Amino acid sequence: MRGLTREYVLQRFLMYLLTIWLGSTLIFVIPRLAPGDPVSEMVGRLSLDAGYIENADKLIESWKARFGLDAPIHVQYFRYWGNVFRLNFGYSLSHFPTEAWTMVSDALPWSLGLLTVATVLSFSIGVTIGSLMGWRRTPRWLQLILPSSLTFTAIPYFMFGIMLIYLVAFELDWLPATGAYSRRVDPGWNLPFIKNVLTHAILPVVSIVLTSMGGWALGMRGLMISVNNEDYFLLAQVKGLSPSRIFFRYGVRNAILPALTALALGLGGLISGSILVEFIFAYPGTGYTLYQAIISQDYTVTQAIANLIILVTATSVFLLDLLYPFIDPRITYKRDMR
Amino acid sequence: MTVGQRTVDESGTPARGWGLNTWDSPWLNFKFLLGVAIVSLILLFGLLGPLFWDTDLAYTGAGPLNKPPVWQEGGLPEHPLGTESNGRDMLAQLILATPSSLKVGFLAAIIGMGIGMVLGSVAGYVGGWWDHVIRTLSDSAVTIPALVVLVVIASYVQMTDTTAMALILAAFAWPGPTRLVRSQILTLRERSYVRMAHLSGAPALEIMFVEMLPNMLPWLAASLTGGISVAILGATGLEVLGLGPTRVPSLGLIINQATTNAALVRGLVWWWLPPIIILMVIFVGFFLMTIGLDEIANPRIRQFSSSRRERTAAGEAPTVVHGDGGIGGGEDAALEVDDLHVHYFTPRGEVIAANGVDFRVRKGEILGLVGESGCGKTTVAMAILQVVQAPGRIVQGAVRIEDQDLVSLSGRALREVRWRDLALVPQGAMNSLNPVTPIREQMADAILAHENVGRLELEARILGLLNDVGLPERVIDMYPHELSGGMKQRVCIAMAIALNPQVIIADEPTSALDVVVQRVVAQTLLEVKERLGVSMVMIGHDMGLQAQLVDRIAVMYAGNLVEVAPVESAFAEPLHPYTQLLIESIPSIKERKPLNVTEGLTHDLRNPPPGCIFQFRCQHVEQICRERRPELVEREDDHLVACWLYEPERHSLIELEEA
Ligand code: SF4
Repeated sequence: MRGLTREYVLQRFLMYLLTIWLGSTLIFVIPRLAPGDPVSEMVGRLSLDAGYIENADKLIESWKARFGLDAPIHVQYFRYWGNVFRLNFGYSLSHFPTEAWTMVSDALPWSLGLLTVATVLSFSIGVTIGSLMGWRRTPRWLQLILPSSLTFTAIPYFMFGIMLIYLVAFELDWLPATGAYSRRVDPGWNLPFIKNVLTHAILPVVSIVLTSMGGWALGMRGLMISVNNEDYFLLAQVKGLSPSRIFFRYGVRNAILPALTALALGLGGLISGSILVEFIFAYPGTGYTLYQAIISQDYTVTQAIANLIILVTATSVFLLDLLYPFIDPRITYKRDMR
Repeated sequence: MTVGQRTVDESGTPARGWGLNTWDSPWLNFKFLLGVAIVSLILLFGLLGPLFWDTDLAYTGAGPLNKPPVWQEGGLPEHPLGTESNGRDMLAQLILATPSSLKVGFLAAIIGMGIGMVLGSVAGYVGGWWDHVIRTLSDSAVTIPALVVLVVIASYVQMTDTTAMALILAAFAWPGPTRLVRSQILTLRERSYVRMAHLSGAPALEIMFVEMLPNMLPWLAASLTGGISVAILGATGLEVLGLGPTRVPSLGLIINQATTNAALVRGLVWWWLPPIIILMVIFVGFFLMTIGLDEIANPRIRQFSSSRRERTAAGEAPTVVHGDGGIGGGEDAALEVDDLHVHYFTPRGEVIAANGVDFRVRKGEILGLVGESGCGKTTVAMAILQVVQAPGRIVQGAVRIEDQDLVSLSGRALREVRWRDLALVPQGAMNSLNPVTPIREQMADAILAHENVGRLELEARILGLLNDVGLPERVIDMYPHELSGGMKQRVCIAMAIALNPQVIIADEPTSALDVVVQRVVAQTLLEVKERLGVSMVMIGHDMGLQAQLVDRIAVMYAGNLVEVAPVESAFAEPLHPYTQLLIESIPSIKERKPLNVTEGLTHDLRNPPPGCIFQFRCQHVEQICRERRPELVEREDDHLVACWLYEPERHSLIELEEA
């Protein structure tokens, strides 16, 4: 009865597949809707750069064959899906002998690390602030201080990042401005390297956390206020429970459920924002690699990364969905959950 | 980003409530108006700028290179905000870029909103298969990271102007509004006035526009302002990455050119900072509008903030005038309510919800507190329990249990008395149990808050209590949603008797239950009372039920007690005209009916008339009734009434006054 029912898991899994399908199909379709095809465009650009390329037509043909672009569109589509499933995206066009997937998988850990830390921090800080803001018994001095934490809420991550770079890295010279680690240190599991990585991560993480936590705080505040008006909240007071128990078990415990839903729904936006943060900080994650692939017209890497980001986002949402029934016992009863 | 899940269940005010030109209109929200002002200023800068400044300077690049703004050393008056590395004038660039950034945002968000309204209405109204498909699509579309797909699109599609970009952005702006419109329609169509419109045969579109749209307006507006800033953010993001239109100046493009020309390292602050500042001001403006609109749409948030202000203004601790403890009320009183005054401090004035309510509950008796809804009986219950919700406050009076005045207690001392001496069987048992914890935990925390009990003993005790109210043992591990309404109510009764309290307040314990279950629950209450000898205050409007359950009855009208009497004499010989009306409205004692007295005028609770509170509806009203308030006086044995009819001296009283 409680926890995961097969129906629920199946429903969420179908949703998961649908999201991936929708995203990946968009990525497949869009380039093909554009006038011209990527290969001719690329060869065209090459010939512009080099002045002239011999047998440009043949080159285009052979590259097309290589990428399977000569096949009818539905065949291409099925092949594309086969490749997505095998995570086989071919070679990078800009770093030719390297496989697209290798470039992507090198970048992934940086992004995952940065985003996980930033998201967990901003969500937990934001939810804490919001819960306190939405609770009548919060001490007055705290009530007066808390709204100041919302100061940066309206500012996009990357703009805040630019200002942080200018102030903290260039003017004050406290922290490194760009990259994930300096050339001076040896990558590996040694202390100087880890320290170096952490100092490089501070500014990007801070710019994401400070600008996004206010959103969670505001949402949580609204949810707490709603819970405050619930009958069970009143009964908890009348039962003579301690304020901390009421706050956690009756207030936060109930208010956090929709906040978690919002987190699952907001992941896409968070990841979108992080692309710009990585760009500004030249942080070697997937977002930055995506940017470089795009400016260097690296068609395969672009596809690989876009697919990967969609896959990772959908997977995180799916995992959150699977966790949900353990936190909210009603979930499998509610048809109309979200 | 989502600003939380907007709870959609409270915009209960019918459309006419949102008067746009009354002074207390909710639209006069400070944050919202400030946001509007900020965005308008920015817009004016972009629209009027070309009249005052030669915007061609943004392109020509004939000026000197890298000049700082005029107030810095080396600045030139002909380039007040400086120039960048190509010699282009910054002011001219900003004037051209600002409206184009705003235009993209507005266009994309409005298109997205349009699509969302159509899809959302179809999903909400047509329902069924359509609803399923649209919901699934929009749910999965929101989780796709929009910027990734946008970046891929932008790298293939050459975007020549801002309109093309707005169209592409709109493709990602529809899921939010779709979900919003759908859930609003689902909520609103349950509202009575929408149902009425349905029944009267109004066409769906008309209902949509006439009945629903005005109510959805603040929600839609909040979604639109949120959508605009998200769209501006997306457009700016693409521009900053250099993937937007490159021939049209835009704020993001300026930032892109600045960062790719190493303006940060070279200290060319006037190149990258002004577009960021303008963007931030725009975002702050829309953000203020969005949260302002959220408050407009969600009265609870408004109420929360205003009640805080209210309390801050009035001082945190209410100054309560305590009734002098002189009245002992006899040895046999379990609960004494002494001259209780509860006021609600609303923006439109002070509402007097309880005006000198004064009664005793004897040991082992059930006192019924009756009256039509809004008469203040629930306020009295909440005041006894010390949980009057802001903006309400006990301004005077005492509530005593065993000579201890609860009104004067607070913090730990109050918590100790709660539940141990005074328990509650709540009105909406449906929602009175915490939905996410099992029954075991909710009963345990009531016990553990007051006693030290070991695990095994605790379990045995909870099982015993469940058994007392006739519930099977397995209920202990169930969640509220797994129980029926009657079972939940019995869980609440079991919880209420857990600590063997002196007094139980039962707030309409059987409302919202069907008739058969009502009987079971009422029976359970009676049994419990008999066995434990507990005293009870039974709040209700169901006179028939009261007649069967209570020992004495107290009738309340507009915040005042008008009659207190043993149940037999109250029904056999009601003294107060209002009580008589109540009893007449029951066709037969056997056939219970909710109280429904609608004839007559009620006065404004903010401004009670001098004299009797019931004078506007009373058939026996006399001169003295309009001038002097009748006191609650014992007219017969144990039968108290507040009415001049039973005062033989009443005529001489006014004459005396006139003399
Ligand atoms: S006091 Fe006068 S107006 Fe009031 S109930 Fe009695 S008769 Fe009616």
